[in-house]
Amino acid sequence: MNVRLAEIWRACQGILPSIIATADSRGVPNVTYLSQVYLVDDRHVALSCQFFNKTRRNLDENPLAMVEVLDPLTLQAYRLRLKFLRSEKSGPLFDMMSLRIDAIASHTGMSGVFSLIAADVFEVVSVATVEGFLTVPVDAPAEGVSLEGWRTEMRGLQLVSERINRAADLESLLASVLESLEEYFNFSHTSVLLWDEANGRLTTMASRGYGESGIGAEVALGEGMIGTVARERRLLRLSSLDADLRYGRAIRREATDAANKLAAEIPLPGLPDAQSVLAIPLTIGSRLVGVIAAEDRDPLRFSEWHEAYLDVIANQIALGIDRMIERGDDSADTAAAEAIAHPPAAGPKGCRVTRRLTYYRHDDAIFVDDEYLIRNVPARILWKVLGESRRTGRTEFSNREMRVDTSLGLPPVKDNLESRLILLRHRLQEKCPDLQIVSTGRGRFALKAEAALELIER
Amino acid sequence: MLNPRLQRCLEPGLSVIVGSVDAQGAPTCCRAYGLRSTDELETVTVYVPVATSHETIQALAMTGRLAIGATYPADHSATQLKGVVTETRLAREDESAFVREQMRVYTEVLAEFGIPKRLSSRATYWPAFAVTMRVEEIYDQTPGPNAGGRLR
Repeated sequence: MNVRLAEIWRACQGILPSIIATADSRGVPNVTYLSQVYLVDDRHVALSCQFFNKTRRNLDENPLAMVEVLDPLTLQAYRLRLKFLRSEKSGPLFDMMSLRIDAIASHTGMSGVFSLIAADVFEVVSVATVEGFLTVPVDAPAEGVSLEGWRTEMRGLQLVSERINRAADLESLLASVLESLEEYFNFSHTSVLLWDEANGRLTTMASRGYGESGIGAEVALGEGMIGTVARERRLLRLSSLDADLRYGRAIRREATDAANKLAAEIPLPGLPDAQSVLAIPLTIGSRLVGVIAAEDRDPLRFSEWHEAYLDVIANQIALGIDRMIERGDDSADTAAAEAIAHPPAAGPKGCRVTRRLTYYRHDDAIFVDDEYLIRNVPARILWKVLGESRRTGRTEFSNREMRVDTSLGLPPVKDNLESRLILLRHRLQEKCPDLQIVSTGRGRFALKAEAALELIER
Repeated sequence: MLNPRLQRCLEPGLSVIVGSVDAQGAPTCCRAYGLRSTDELETVTVYVPVATSHETIQALAMTGRLAIGATYPADHSATQLKGVVTETRLAREDESAFVREQMRVYTEVLAEFGIPKRLSSRATYWPAFAVTMRVEEIYDQTPGPNAGGRLR
């Protein structure tokens, strides 16, 4: 073994397809491509068994195999001589490999069509550089975590902790977390989705680095990569979004075009050419709080180190979010102070525009001038205050009256009212800036309209 | 005349891989840079770099068993040919133009998938062994419901 497995980790990220050769008991060889070789430890690797194909059948007859992998940065090839040991159909290794496959399957609309049957574990008999594979030797890019890197990451942890502790409200907490991830880890495309128990979906509450914020975009449990991470409560790192995923995205685009307009709503923030993804569940115990997702065009952007490190940060973020949600009305103190310092804009005097808001009862959704605005509980809150304002002239409301109004469908505990108001405020800013929801004091908010409003209910 | 499906495995721009097995049952593999047939796939000749194919050539010397995978990266259509080697020789100079052209098209295909030519053009492809195989079985290896189906 002239190379250690750990030294060829880049070649085992599935960025370039690997080759596997096997042979049956009659000595007939078979050669095919592999999507990824999973490094288990210094002497073992695992391959995913998704179908009982010829490779898999050969291994039952003859446990020997050869795999060739390519380093995506240098294109240097390495050959591994392997001996098949066992198939694992449960346990941590199976779960880790299964999560990746389930996420890709869900993301490409292929859930249930392909899934992991087993994690096939091999002993690594030897690993060798394929000498002469390249005409000119390539200098290996620098790698490894330097002492400076460790210091930066420790400082990053400290920074995130400080910002979580200092955050006055949920909105500033989410924004500062994403800002910290960019500042200290160069994660420039990130989003946070919070779990809404009542709605049974994750809702995008903050994003950074995208043209369209995607705030309000929803994901069902188990849907796509983020929904899969939320369902399984396990971190997912994809080092390359391989050809299957790109193919699936193309199919999804076609499907989306034909989808019902009401169901299309808000697209998730995302890079169309992302090559790597990191999605981290935010949990307290086994209770789901949300998911933080990051993506990048660099297929090697997220490393194993980030997994462990960000798991620690995710725990802090989850606790911070939960604390904000628990605080409920108290969190409005700061917002109230801000509201006093920056009084809301004037009322609808001299309105030059009319905004038409339509509430579709059947879909529980509000459209503004025929464009989707919001649905579910935030839509009901907005419709309630708009109606009340129309009937009585009131423009100030309290969180308490929202909580006691059973028609809004807020859950009795952990109602996430603050996050629903944040969502509503953001969506109004994006789609109807002349209608605002502003905080006016502890647990209070006001409706400010700078346009004439036409309200229609269907 | 070959049907279009089989003809695809001889088109330029294919990713070609080969596998063999030695007398002890240990499989080997390497990449190839050129596959051709002049008799409608009764026999094929595959070109493997001398520098990187020594394990495969040794195994072929022992067992003569060869598997060749030909995949078109754009749509994942893949074919596997299996058979027995009838000749292994150093490729002639008059074959270098064919191999070079296969390599040129292949690097262009790879560039479409994000592998820059400055990297892929570094792969050693010459001198090469020309390995001729009598084709006994042809399988569809395209991912999907027909994977593993016999084409001939």
